[in-house]
Amino acid sequence: MSAGGSGAAAEAIPQNNIIAFGVAGGLIGIYAAYFLVDIAGQYMSFIGALGAICGMIWGAAAVRRVASYGLGTGVPSIGMLALGMGVLAATFGLAVGGIAGPVLAVISAAIIGLMVGILANKVLKMGIPIMEVSMTEIATAGTITIVGLAVAMTGTFDFAVILEQVITTGYIAVIFIAGGLAILHPFNANLGPDEKQDRTLMCGLEKGAITMIIAGIVASVNEGASGALTILIGLALWYIGFSGYYDRVKRDAYDVVGSGLLPSKEELE
Amino acid sequence: MEPLTGMGVLALMGAAATIAGASEDLESDVGSQSNPNSQVQLAPQMMYPHRIHSKAVSGEPPSNALMCAIGGTTASVLVSTGASAALALAIGAIVAATIHGTYAATSYLGRSASQKRFKQPVYLDVMRSHIPVIMGYSFITTFCILVVSYLMATVLAHPFPLPLLAFIWGITVGAVGSSTGDVHYGAERQFQNVEYGSGLNAANSGNIVRKAESGLRNGIDNSWFCAKFGGPVTGLAFGMTVFLSGWITAVFDPSRGDAIGWVSVIAGVIIVLILILWNRNIEVAARKAYGTYKEDENEAEVAA
Amino acid sequence: MIDIAGILMDNILYVILITLGGVLISWSVHFVPVGGAPAAMAQATGIGTGTVQLAAGAGLTGLITAGAMMQITDNMALVLASGAAGAMIMISVTMMVGTWSYVYGVGCPPASAKVKYDPITKDRQDLYVSQGTEGHGLPTVSFVSGVIGGGLGGFGGSMVYYALMSIENGLALPDLVGIASIFAVGVFFVNAVIPSYNIGGTIEGFHDPKFKRFPRAVLSSLVATFFCAILGVLAIGGL
Repeated sequence: MSAGGSGAAAEAIPQNNIIAFGVAGGLIGIYAAYFLVDIAGQYMSFIGALGAICGMIWGAAAVRRVASYGLGTGVPSIGMLALGMGVLAATFGLAVGGIAGPVLAVISAAIIGLMVGILANKVLKMGIPIMEVSMTEIATAGTITIVGLAVAMTGTFDFAVILEQVITTGYIAVIFIAGGLAILHPFNANLGPDEKQDRTLMCGLEKGAITMIIAGIVASVNEGASGALTILIGLALWYIGFSGYYDRVKRDAYDVVGSGLLPSKEELE
Repeated sequence: MEPLTGMGVLALMGAAATIAGASEDLESDVGSQSNPNSQVQLAPQMMYPHRIHSKAVSGEPPSNALMCAIGGTTASVLVSTGASAALALAIGAIVAATIHGTYAATSYLGRSASQKRFKQPVYLDVMRSHIPVIMGYSFITTFCILVVSYLMATVLAHPFPLPLLAFIWGITVGAVGSSTGDVHYGAERQFQNVEYGSGLNAANSGNIVRKAESGLRNGIDNSWFCAKFGGPVTGLAFGMTVFLSGWITAVFDPSRGDAIGWVSVIAGVIIVLILILWNRNIEVAARKAYGTYKEDENEAEVAA
Repeated sequence: MIDIAGILMDNILYVILITLGGVLISWSVHFVPVGGAPAAMAQATGIGTGTVQLAAGAGLTGLITAGAMMQITDNMALVLASGAAGAMIMISVTMMVGTWSYVYGVGCPPASAKVKYDPITKDRQDLYVSQGTEGHGLPTVSFVSGVIGGGLGGFGGSMVYYALMSIENGLALPDLVGIASIFAVGVFFVNAVIPSYNIGGTIEGFHDPKFKRFPRAVLSSLVATFFCAILGVLAIGGL
C-alpha cells in the first residue's frame, strides 16, 4: 500500500501548537496521574491515559505531515517505527530515571528519533525535508503513549511495578500495537486527496479512547489503578470522538447515503 | 512432557492455525484490506466509483496483531481473576472483534470521504452489512490465534506471556494472509473482466469489476469467491507455519540434549530445501503448461 | 543513579552483539522479495505485501522458536540457529503458498522482469512476463533469496534476544524474558523499517539492482542500533 502524495499537507492547526499540546499534555497527564494517585487515590490513574491520548493525537498529526510526502512504502511502517523506538526509550527512561523517568524517556526518544531522521535523509537519501523533525516527534509521541498507558494500567511509573504488572505479564504488547495503530491509523484511514486535518485528528482521539478502554481493562486487576473509571471515561471519549468524526465525514464526503446505486455518468462529468 | 502429548497439542495448534489463516484472509477480502485495496482506492479516481468496503485499517499484520493482542490481554486479565480459559478466550475474542469493527468503520468512512472530488459516496448500508461480517471473521481469527497462543504458553511452557505470543502470531498470520490469499483477491477477483492467466496490465489499473452476479458487487461477494481458493490456501500456509515450526522441536526435543537440538535445526533446513525444490517444480510445470507470453525476438529473426 | 560506565564495560560484548543483530536484520530485509501493492495484483515480482510486515512476520516467528530454545539451553549457536530455522520455515511456507496463488489462482508462471536469465536456474525470464507488468510470482532466485533473508532475520533477531537475556542483572527470569522479548521486538521493527525506506518498499531479491544499496541501510542500522543497544544494556543491566 504505497501511499501519500508529494508535498506538504495543509493544516488548519499549526504543527507547533500540536507539538506543545502533545508534550505538555502528555507529561502533565503522566505526572498528574502519578501524584494524584498517591494523594487522592487509585481512581485518578485514568489521567495517565489522557496524557497518552495527547501523545497519540500528536503522533497522528506528525504521521500525517511526514507521510504526505510519500514514504515509498505504506503508512503503517512509520507507526511501527514510532512504537519500536518508543518502547526502547520508555523502558530505558523508566528503568533508570526514577522520578525523572518520563522526562528521561522523552529525551532519549527525541535523540533516537532525531538520529533515525538524520540517517534517513543523509544516508538513505530519502529527501523529505521535514524528516528529522517528524522522526523526533514520532518517537517522542510513541514514548509518551507507552508511558501514559502504562501509568493508566498501574497508577505509577515506578519501574518495579511497571515491570511486574505491564512488561512481565505481556500487556506491553497491547500498548505497543494499540498505541501504534492509534498513531498510524488516523492518517491511513483518511488517506486521499480530500483529507482534512481536523477529521484525521478526531479519528486519532477516537482511537486513543479505545486504547484508554483497553488500559482500563488491564487496570481492573491492578491494585494501584482503577479500571472502572478509566473504562467509563474511555467510552465517553470514544463516543465524543466517533460522533465528532462522523460529523466531519458527513461534512467532507461527496454524499452520505443510506443506500443507492453508483453515481450516474452525467454526475461523474 | 510426553512426546505423544506434545504431538497432540501441536496437531490441535495446527488445526486452529489453519482456521485462523482461512478466516483472516476472508476477513481481509470482505473488507478489502491491505495491498489489493490500492485498486479499490484507485478506482474512483479512474471514474469507477464502487460499492466495495475499503478497510484501510493498516497493513494486515498490524491490524491482526492488534486484534490478537487485545484478545490476549483481555483473556489474560480474565484468567488472572480466575475465569475458565475457554470463557476468557471467547470474551477476549469478542472484545477484539468489537474494537476491530470500529477500525473497519472509521477506515471506510475516512477513505470514502477523502475521495470527494472523485464523487465516491459513502454508502451506509455497505457499512451496516459488512461490519458484522468483518467482526464475525475477526472473532474466529482472534479466537483461533488465542487458542494457539494459550496452548503454547500453558501446555508447551513457552516463556513468552500470552499477550505477547498472541501479538507475534497476529503479525505472522497477517503477513501470511497478505502474502498468499490476497493475491487471489487482488489479481483475479478484482479483475475478472480481463482474460485469466496473466498479471494485471498497468493500463487496466483501477478498472475493477463493480457488478456482481446480482446487483452491484460488494465485499461479501468477494469473500464468496475467495473462499474457494484464496482463503483455504492461506489457512494451509499459516497452519503449516505453526505446525512445522513446532514440529521440528516436538519430534527432536532439544531438552534431551544439544545434539538433538541440532538435529531439529537440520530437520528445519531439510523442510526448507524440500520447499525450494517444490517451488522449482511448480515453476517448471507452470512454464511448460502456460507457455510464453511473447515470442523470442532472436529466434523469430532466425526463422524469418 | 546507576554506574553507567561500569555496566557498559561489563556488557560491552552484548552491546556489540545487539548491534550486530540489528545490522543482520537490516541486511536481511534486502533479501526478502517483496513487490508491495503491485505484486498483489501480479504486477510485480515478489510477495504481495510490505517489506516491514513480511520481515517482521518471519523474524518474529524465529523469535518465538528462539525463545523456546533459550529456555532449555544456553548454547548460543543453537539458539541462533533455531531462530533462523523458524524464520526460514515461515517465509518459505509463505512463498510456497504464494506460488500456488500465482500459478493456480491467477494462472501466470513465476517470472522476473529485472533480469533476463534467472541467475540460479539460468531460465529465460522476459518471455514469461505478461504484458503491462513487471513480472509476477517467485522465480527460484527470489525464493532462495527470500529463504536467505528470512534466515538472516531470524538469526539477527535471536541474537538480539540472546544478548539481552545474557546481560548481568538482578531480575527474576520471567521479568527478564518480558523485558528482553519486547526490547527485541522494538529493535526488530526499527531495523525492519530503515531498510524498507532504503529500497523504497519493493525489491526482487539479491539479483535486483536495488540490492546494491544495502550498505546505506546497514550503516544507518549500525548507528541506530548501537544507540538502542546502549539503552537496552543500561536499562537491563541497571536492574
